[in-house]
Amino acid sequence: MSSSVLQFEPELSQPLIQEVMSRSGQNLLACYQCRRCAAGCPVGDETGVTPDRLIRMIILGEREEALNNLLVWKCVACYTCGTRCPNNIQTARINETLKQISKEAHIEPLLPKVSAFHDVFLRLTSHFGRVNELVFIGLYEMRNAKRELKHGGGWKAVADEMKNHAKLGISMMKKKRMHFQLNRVKRLSEIKRLFKKAKDEAGG
Amino acid sequence: MQIAYYPGCSLHASSELYDIQCKKVFRQLGIELKEIEDWNCCGATSASKTDDFLSVALPARNLGIADASGLSEMLIPCSSCYNRTLVTQKILYEDPELKNKINIELSKKVEGKIRISSILDILVSKADSGEIAEKLIKKLEGLKPACYYGCLLTRFPGDIKISDNIENPQGMETVCKALGAEPIDWSYKTDCCGASAAVNDTDTSLFLMSKIIKDALEREANCFVTTCPMCQINMDAYQDQVCECYGIQKKLPVFFITELLGIAMGFTPQGMQLDRHFVDSLGLLKELKLI
Ligand code: SF4
Ligand code: SF4
Repeated sequence: MSSSVLQFEPELSQPLIQEVMSRSGQNLLACYQCRRCAAGCPVGDETGVTPDRLIRMIILGEREEALNNLLVWKCVACYTCGTRCPNNIQTARINETLKQISKEAHIEPLLPKVSAFHDVFLRLTSHFGRVNELVFIGLYEMRNAKRELKHGGGWKAVADEMKNHAKLGISMMKKKRMHFQLNRVKRLSEIKRLFKKAKDEAGG
Repeated sequence: MQIAYYPGCSLHASSELYDIQCKKVFRQLGIELKEIEDWNCCGATSASKTDDFLSVALPARNLGIADASGLSEMLIPCSSCYNRTLVTQKILYEDPELKNKINIELSKKVEGKIRISSILDILVSKADSGEIAEKLIKKLEGLKPACYYGCLLTRFPGDIKISDNIENPQGMETVCKALGAEPIDWSYKTDCCGASAAVNDTDTSLFLMSKIIKDALEREANCFVTTCPMCQINMDAYQDQVCECYGIQKKLPVFFITELLGIAMGFTPQGMQLDRHFVDSLGLLKELKLI
């Protein structure tokens, strides 16, 4: 992450901050940069960008940096920052909003596996109403393999990833923690209606 | 007494043992868990990260079904499901327009009247009232658990008040003490294990878990105890890998709180399905002559 001086450009900052504030429900303008959030963020050391810094970027209209930094993608939604923030700002919610914005804008996610995980999870919920772990891991791995092959990661990257999960899968089987029955909701039509409404709400 | 029960997806899959234990232990305490009919996935953090409407609509359908059950209280043992459902109930209370929008699509409408309880809400009250003590066959002497709460039992993405302390909760310690165990005092009880990052960003998750395991070992815990199926499977299934990556020599079994209750109430290890752990848990219990 560059540590260049942040520039304030009002024409750029207005639309971004308004969108993030209204969608996340967080009052970013209340942030007075005390950095209590940064002190407690478990991934802060790794991501470089901490919640306070992310909020600053958004206020200054640094759209690209705000959408493409490790905090947005590595946030584990532990809610520590929000619980400790004297102004009740939940950066986890801001990160969720930024992930959504970047998906809508078809920006390649910084950590594609994270976004594949959540997409597949919701897809399965829309199909069955419940998440079946085995089907989930299968679909998730397929999604990752497809991406690796397309972006030149090659078969080795695919095989390494699969090997890791296969190892875990085998020990889960040994411990009888793998479940083979397919769980599903009976009144699936209701679930489908909720997913359709979600699409309508998002404007198409 | 009957209360409603929402198991969620994990308790019907990889953490089925927790489902079985909950039902057994609660029956012993005089509570019958009545699983709500046709429940759906709560969407977990995936819905929040993908679609704001669904993150409320999915738990809302379950709330409607629970309200229609006619029961006044619902137990949700999984921390993630508990968190999402409680937050949804509050959002719908504050936003009647959204509630109507969702209710139109539901056959069982959300009324918002059922009380949502975590497993600790109920167990702590049973410890305080002395009802747990009445059911004990043995004391868990020598067991020194690090009570691990993780994130979602005490922290919410909104303004939700809970009865325990957010940074240093004591509920699980209260229950463990009622069982005769000696929970240790430590610093990582509400730290994050990485949750779904274990699958999609493994290195981050292993790093977070290494800090938790190291602190528990330094404080001389001889096991972990948790109430969350996600924390349990992460800390249990990945502990080998964490220890290997971070040069940690000793491993600690990761118990569900229901397993400690079950053992103290005289259930057999088979009845509690303790053989379904990744890190061996029977050795320690035998060593302490608890089984
Ligand atoms: S804790 Fe809150 S006010 Fe302080 S820097 Fe972080 S977001 Fe801003
Ligand atoms: S919720 Fe995300 S940003 Fe906030 S402390 Fe946790 S990991 Fe950091």
